[in-house]
Amino acid sequence: MLKTFLIGIKDLRLAFRDRAALILMLAAPFVLTLGLGLVTGRFSGSNNSGLSDIPVIIVNLDNDQLGDALADVFTSVELADLMEPAIGSDPEAARQLIDEDEAAAVVIIPEGFTQSIIPQQSAVAAELVKIEVYANPSRPTGAGIVKAIVDEFLSRVEEGRVSGSVSILQLVLSGRITPAQAQVAGAAMTERLQTNTTDSALAITINSSTADGEEVKFDILAYLAPGMALMFLMYTVSYGGRSILAEKTQGTLPRLLVSPTSSTQILGGKIFGIFLTGSAQMLILIGASSLFFQLKWGDPMGVIILVLAAVFGATGWGMFVTAVARTPAQVANVGMSIMLIFGILGGSFVSLDQMPPAIQAFSKITPNAWALDGFTTLALGGTLTNLSAPITALLSMGMILFLVSVLLFGKKNLVQK
Amino acid sequence: MKKIFAIAWKDAIVRFASSSELIFFIILPLIFTFLLAGGTPSNDDDNRVRLVVVDQANTVISQNIIAELDKSTAVRPEVLTLEEAESQFDSRRANVVLIIPANLDLQAIQDGTAQVDFRQQPNNLNATVAERAVQTAIRSVSSAVNAANNAVKTAEENGTFESEADRQAYFDDALKLAQTMQDDAPERVTVIEGSTPDRIEYDPRASSSAGQLITWVFIPLFGISALFAYERQQGTLRRVLTTPTSKATYLLGTISGQVVMALVQMSLLILFGTVVMKLGWGREPLALFVILTAAALAAGAIGTTMGTFIKTEGQASGLSIMAGMVMALMGGCWYPIELFPAVVQTIVKILPTTWAMQGLLDLVLRGGGLMEILPEAGVLLGFATIFFSIGVMRFRYE
Repeated sequence: MLKTFLIGIKDLRLAFRDRAALILMLAAPFVLTLGLGLVTGRFSGSNNSGLSDIPVIIVNLDNDQLGDALADVFTSVELADLMEPAIGSDPEAARQLIDEDEAAAVVIIPEGFTQSIIPQQSAVAAELVKIEVYANPSRPTGAGIVKAIVDEFLSRVEEGRVSGSVSILQLVLSGRITPAQAQVAGAAMTERLQTNTTDSALAITINSSTADGEEVKFDILAYLAPGMALMFLMYTVSYGGRSILAEKTQGTLPRLLVSPTSSTQILGGKIFGIFLTGSAQMLILIGASSLFFQLKWGDPMGVIILVLAAVFGATGWGMFVTAVARTPAQVANVGMSIMLIFGILGGSFVSLDQMPPAIQAFSKITPNAWALDGFTTLALGGTLTNLSAPITALLSMGMILFLVSVLLFGKKNLVQK
Repeated sequence: MKKIFAIAWKDAIVRFASSSELIFFIILPLIFTFLLAGGTPSNDDDNRVRLVVVDQANTVISQNIIAELDKSTAVRPEVLTLEEAESQFDSRRANVVLIIPANLDLQAIQDGTAQVDFRQQPNNLNATVAERAVQTAIRSVSSAVNAANNAVKTAEENGTFESEADRQAYFDDALKLAQTMQDDAPERVTVIEGSTPDRIEYDPRASSSAGQLITWVFIPLFGISALFAYERQQGTLRRVLTTPTSKATYLLGTISGQVVMALVQMSLLILFGTVVMKLGWGREPLALFVILTAAALAAGAIGTTMGTFIKTEGQASGLSIMAGMVMALMGGCWYPIELFPAVVQTIVKILPTTWAMQGLLDLVLRGGGLMEILPEAGVLLGFATIFFSIGVMRFRYE
């Protein structure tokens, strides 16, 4: 056990003394994370990962119950964080502001809108008057939300109108009141609509509940930093694997084998060394990003266990590549290729959500995808208890790859006395 | 001339001595170009707020609610099982979950017992948006039933029903009438799309093809530094010194060889872009040749200068990869530069990758020609001149 430990510590020291290796183990992921922070606006505060303060211009030419009620919706306390309303009076000037990309949308409530729905004289057929949403095509999300708010308001208005009309008409049709009485009832209904235009209850009750805990604002760097760290972790594990073949070529492995050290202890020590180096690399990067970028990784216990599981899974891949390759150069080339392919498949460059489903499914062979999933969960406020799937997957991946690698090592007689 | 060719040929043989070099020369660039072209967000993406829906009822009413939600301009419903939804909600992957319980049907609405569960994360604005969209969808689906219920209530205020059957018949008639009125209801909102100019000219295929071309060509050209370090470590540079070969001849042979290989690599990637991704790379061949050559010379010059500072091959390889990736990222080769903060957009103009990317996008995305890419090509040649001068001045055989 002690020998295995000593071999592992020796490999850890060698890795951290190799300046060339340190460039890719630590410098590259750190500098790339810094670069990603800069280009995403994380460091300049211009990054906005959620919806808030959507600029909208309200032009209320109706100046009647419904027009005022709709304007009130946009200026309500309930939507204060979501919308940033401005009141306009000139439709053409407001449209011009949209064309100049100054707001997400203009809501123009034309004159006579209320009259078109609740006519003063019910006998007169009301002319259809439409609200105009002048949308900014370069802000589709904001414009879509403005339209949805208008839709929700109109659905309430429409429900009240239909409900009132059906009540009266059905009374007449069933002969419960005469057409003459219907006029009186209609006037009463109109009055009720005018005083209570948009406050009809839903036929289906919405039981709304809010989860416990604090609001979590997702930090884009909490996705990007682990993505880069995990990509370069794959370099580290192949670098460690390469050292097994390098020791054989350089003659230090045969020397070890003539000492009273079993092949299992040697292989175990080498694997332990890769595991230690990978863990140290990840923990240094996590520490550095926390210190320099004020990045919150989430539940510390979850982070540590996830790091260990991710390094275990990645070490399995490192051993597999070493078992398949013949020379240290081959391990280096294949390791670098796997680092980059796993990087893009695992979501280090582009979020996996934006990849085709087949690629998303294929990405499950990478430790990157599972670990990044876990780190995202932690960054969103999850804890160790939410990490059962990624941790199980990473440990299983590592175990399977270790078994296959040991079998291949046995066939190659790589570490045999 | 013969010596220059011999040196370039020797470098090509050394570089491709292992077939694994082909992985970096063509296979990985193609994989990255393909994946990023297919996976990069485009303007057609659905930006609506994601709303997880659990449909335990699976009735006409529940399906209509989901259909109405799908029509919303604010939310995008995604139907999951209760277990998946709860797992996503607990791990905060889902901001809002709508659960439609098993007993939600027309009868439940008529009885006034219909309910849905709406779960939201604390202080989440997406949840506010989603809740309004859910209200709209529910209103749209249930308003006819609501109207019929109100009609029954109004009728009861005007006298009682003779029997339960009479009451039900009254409800059914009112429901039919409400449904007819609802179907005949006019559209009361019109959406007009403004003529705001699109701030971002973006095509994932064009950006991926151009960006990955630059990334994968700049990294090996920066790797000229590793070539120098390798030869220096091996002592082969000293051997060259004993032959009648000038420093200029050696440098020209090495650099021109790498630049030619880069042009071959770029041609293959351009061919892939043209044939597989249907991009218009071949529209202005002269302009394309000029910008590619200028970019390759600039990268080769930087690699030469790096080679005069870095001592070991291992360090040179690592630094080439790191510098290549960072410059590609900052130069807009991975993500559109228009999305960067304004200050960063200005700062990254000091990078050759920024100019190379802009030049290539002028050709393949903006339909430009030789005149349009001349400023970018000029800047890249400026980079080449400065860094070649530094490299040649600092170059030592030992």
